[in-house]
Amino acid sequence: MLEFRQVHKAYATPQGPLEVLAGVDLTLEAGRSLALMGESGSGKSTLLHLAAGLDLPDAGEVRLGGRAISPLAEAERARLRRESLGLVFQQFHLVPSLTVLDNLRLQARLAGREDSAWSAELIARLGLAGLEGRYPEQLSGGQQQRLAIGRALAPRPALLLADEPTGNLDEATAGEVLALLLSLVEETGCALLMVTHSPRIAAPLDRRLRLSRGTLAPLAAAEASR
Amino acid sequence: MTTLLATLLSHYRRHPAQLAMLLLGLWVASALWSGVQAINASAKESYARAEALFTTGLDRLERLDGDALTRDDFLALRRQGLPVSPLLEGELTAPDGTRLTLIGIDPLTLPGDSAFATAGSTQELTGFLTPPWQTRLAPDTLPSLGLDTDSAPGASPRLAAGRLPPLSLAPSLPPQTLVMDIAAATVLLDAGERITRLVTAPGALAAAPPGLALTRATTLVSPGQLTQSFHLNLTALALLALIVGLFIVQAALGLALEQRLAMLRTLRAIGVSGRALVAGLALELVLLGSIGALAGIAGGVWLARALLPDVAATLGSLYGAGVGVELRLPWHYWVGGLAVTLGGLLLAGAGVLWRAARLSVLDLGRAQAWRSGYQRQLGRMSLAGAAVAALGLALWAWLSRQPAGEGLAAGFVLMAALLLVGALWLPPLLAAALAGLGRLARRRPLAQWALADLELQLPRLSLALMALLIALSASLGVNSMVGGFRLTFLDWLDQRLVADLYLDPPAERFEAVHTWLGERPEVAELMVTRHGESTLLAVDAAGASRPLARPVSLFGLTPGERLTPTWPLLETHTGREEAWRALGEGAAFINEQLAVAEDIAPGDRLTLTTPDGQATLAVAAIYPDYGNPRGEVLMAASELGRRFSAPPDSIGIALAPGADAGALSTALAGEFALGRDALRDQGAVKHIATGIFERTFTITRALNALTLAVAALALLASLLAQAGERRRRLAPLWALGVPRGRLLGVQLAQLGGAALAVGLVAVPLGTAITWGLVAVINVAAFGWRLPLHLFPGEIALTLATAVAVALLAALLPALRLWRTPPRTLLAEEAG
Repeated sequence: MLEFRQVHKAYATPQGPLEVLAGVDLTLEAGRSLALMGESGSGKSTLLHLAAGLDLPDAGEVRLGGRAISPLAEAERARLRRESLGLVFQQFHLVPSLTVLDNLRLQARLAGREDSAWSAELIARLGLAGLEGRYPEQLSGGQQQRLAIGRALAPRPALLLADEPTGNLDEATAGEVLALLLSLVEETGCALLMVTHSPRIAAPLDRRLRLSRGTLAPLAAAEASR
Repeated sequence: MTTLLATLLSHYRRHPAQLAMLLLGLWVASALWSGVQAINASAKESYARAEALFTTGLDRLERLDGDALTRDDFLALRRQGLPVSPLLEGELTAPDGTRLTLIGIDPLTLPGDSAFATAGSTQELTGFLTPPWQTRLAPDTLPSLGLDTDSAPGASPRLAAGRLPPLSLAPSLPPQTLVMDIAAATVLLDAGERITRLVTAPGALAAAPPGLALTRATTLVSPGQLTQSFHLNLTALALLALIVGLFIVQAALGLALEQRLAMLRTLRAIGVSGRALVAGLALELVLLGSIGALAGIAGGVWLARALLPDVAATLGSLYGAGVGVELRLPWHYWVGGLAVTLGGLLLAGAGVLWRAARLSVLDLGRAQAWRSGYQRQLGRMSLAGAAVAALGLALWAWLSRQPAGEGLAAGFVLMAALLLVGALWLPPLLAAALAGLGRLARRRPLAQWALADLELQLPRLSLALMALLIALSASLGVNSMVGGFRLTFLDWLDQRLVADLYLDPPAERFEAVHTWLGERPEVAELMVTRHGESTLLAVDAAGASRPLARPVSLFGLTPGERLTPTWPLLETHTGREEAWRALGEGAAFINEQLAVAEDIAPGDRLTLTTPDGQATLAVAAIYPDYGNPRGEVLMAASELGRRFSAPPDSIGIALAPGADAGALSTALAGEFALGRDALRDQGAVKHIATGIFERTFTITRALNALTLAVAALALLASLLAQAGERRRRLAPLWALGVPRGRLLGVQLAQLGGAALAVGLVAVPLGTAITWGLVAVINVAAFGWRLPLHLFPGEIALTLATAVAVALLAALLPALRLWRTPPRTLLAEEAG
């Protein structure tokens, strides 16, 4: 589904180039889930942006569904995102001027594959029934994140990319949202790449990797059990 | 695209005030622009109709002795084989008091290709020529007769002079003009054998027949030419209003983009391409722009209807140009209005589209990024201001090398450059002042906070403050120019109008009236004037002769004891007294317009056409001649009569000390049965002249006030748009123990101070605009230069207006703050 081959990425800083990814190799199969961990500034978000085609590698190759992303034009990459990817952010990034229902259907509509029954089911499964006409600011943090998950899953993406999806929520809400996310991912059969710094959040996923000094390594057993 | 557009537009559903501000800006900008264009288009249409009429475009014959022509004169000339045609002109009064021009023609002899010379079918011509005849008139003349287009054809309305022949509509005729066969007109005007003039095809006569004066059509200036500068000035003012309105639009668009940055980045992240996003925003602009432009055009038509009567009266009294008070708008007016508004909108929105196109999707969630770029923007503004200033200086240098009276368009560009430099340099200037003041206020925490907070507000307020600066400077500039003009004009009137009474006797009784007055003991001095037309063929300066072919007016006066000490002169060859002595001996004075246009100085010699050939006159002085659009040569009335066969025109009567003007008027009216309007006292003439002056600037003042109102709206809209965020910033201060009343005071002081600073910048900028108007625009547009007057009252008013506008705009958000319970403030801050 998603493949990184010897991906390099560096940023220019006043002190000279800072290499955040130094030859990353990564494979995520369809229907599988992967937790990506690491310290702040380790390059987790950069890796996620590269996976989404929001940014391009300096060297190496990122392939999504067997297609290399780098040679694609910006419009093609945008199409790939709206049709094949779902994105969930720590800050939710809902459209404040759209209602709950319109927010949930937004990406599916943009992709031209709106499914009313699936949207209604998502609303019910996400516990947003009765709130369809409200605006994001009228929801709690947990409700907003559930809505963001619904928006990402509404077009039935092949890959869901989640960047600290529970980072802005309290512990109880975080657990609840994570359980819902994982069950929906399992039902839809899409792959999941989740960035988190919490071993507890990462634990239920199929695989866990740590990004450190620009390279990926499996999580140490002791760390994983924490 | 529909989902994208709906998502983009959903922002305005949640922020209706922003949408209102955007539409308001568009509406106001478009309304003022299209209103003035509607006035211009209507006036031009009237000129076109007037120029199509047979009263212009044909050579004219009149009697040299000033007596009226008769039917016998016409018949005698026709018998000689000369292709002349008679015209009878007069005035009738409509039931509503409107003065209607009645023109009687003879379609069989009328030359040219007018609708009447080729009156269509034989049946139509027969109807026009034979009883009961026809009255041809334009549909917009009907309201003054109490008729409409349905009831008019065939109707025969009764006027005081008698019943009009059956009406027939002719849309190509000018407004308030009736045309009929000369026989029918003779009856209505009770003209007997008299005709007003004879006309002939241009160039059909090689020379004037004996006893007649021939005025070539080429020497008659059309109303369209005369009023060109008036319309250009209006257009410039409307452009200013359009620009100020577009400032609001740009402020609204910028704010909407800033508030939607997170939305746009989210859209990009979930698969909307950059190109699609820009296309969506552009579509949104066109959609909103079309609504605003259509509403603006509707508003513009309303505004034009309201202002047109004043403008028509001004054009009529200043230039003698007949302009209908009914709007007549050609198709290109509507398309043009829409195109200018949409074009302006796209220009104002280009920055927004550019920023949206460059939006970095990786900055997701960094909605504040725009503000951090403001410092760079200030730098760019300073540089752009310097570039425009350099351009303005270059233009000024170029203009100063042009002959006087040239470069009207360049003059307007110079004015625009001045305003633009002021606007571009304002935000960097304010930012520097705030930073400096902030350092000074280190020991006063609230003042320091207020200054730092204002600095933070500057990015969002700067466009509105720039609009305010432009409106204030233009207002100060124009008002000082008008005020200066007013002073100069009133002085000039006092100097020129020295007679106690002014009399316009009928031409055929002029000599009798003159003789009678000369014998009256109440009369100290009689000042006869004469008028004529000529063509300036050449100017001899320093031995070199310059050939010309410029039509000029001739004006003759009587240089007596009353007139010569006060009559204003700008420049003489060898002193004032010598100039008057030379005038008495056959020299001429010229008006400033002619001197500027043809670069003539005292001492030069003019060659002018006369009925007998040519005459050469020395120029002894140049005099100011405000309000006259034409070049004029002035000489002693006796010389004008002798050399140019100019008929006498009016008599100025200087009364002997202690004489009773009323008694003389009564005796004069009794002796000669003069009309009510034939005799006027000096006060009445001045009253009429100042009335015309005031009316001329009605529209200027109206547009100025509207532009200032637009700027106030821009400021209000900017403040309202950020009111929520402002309240959130004030909440922590309240929590720290600053009372709400004090916070309110701080807010008003912040804005009042900023506006005062804008006002202080507007003073030198407005003064520069005044200078540009009197020294560049006026000279180029009208041919005369006014002295530069500065009015401390106007300056104080500008400063007070700036502060008042700001406080008025701040009042609504401040009231909201006052009414918000303190706990809500903190809740908003938490949210």
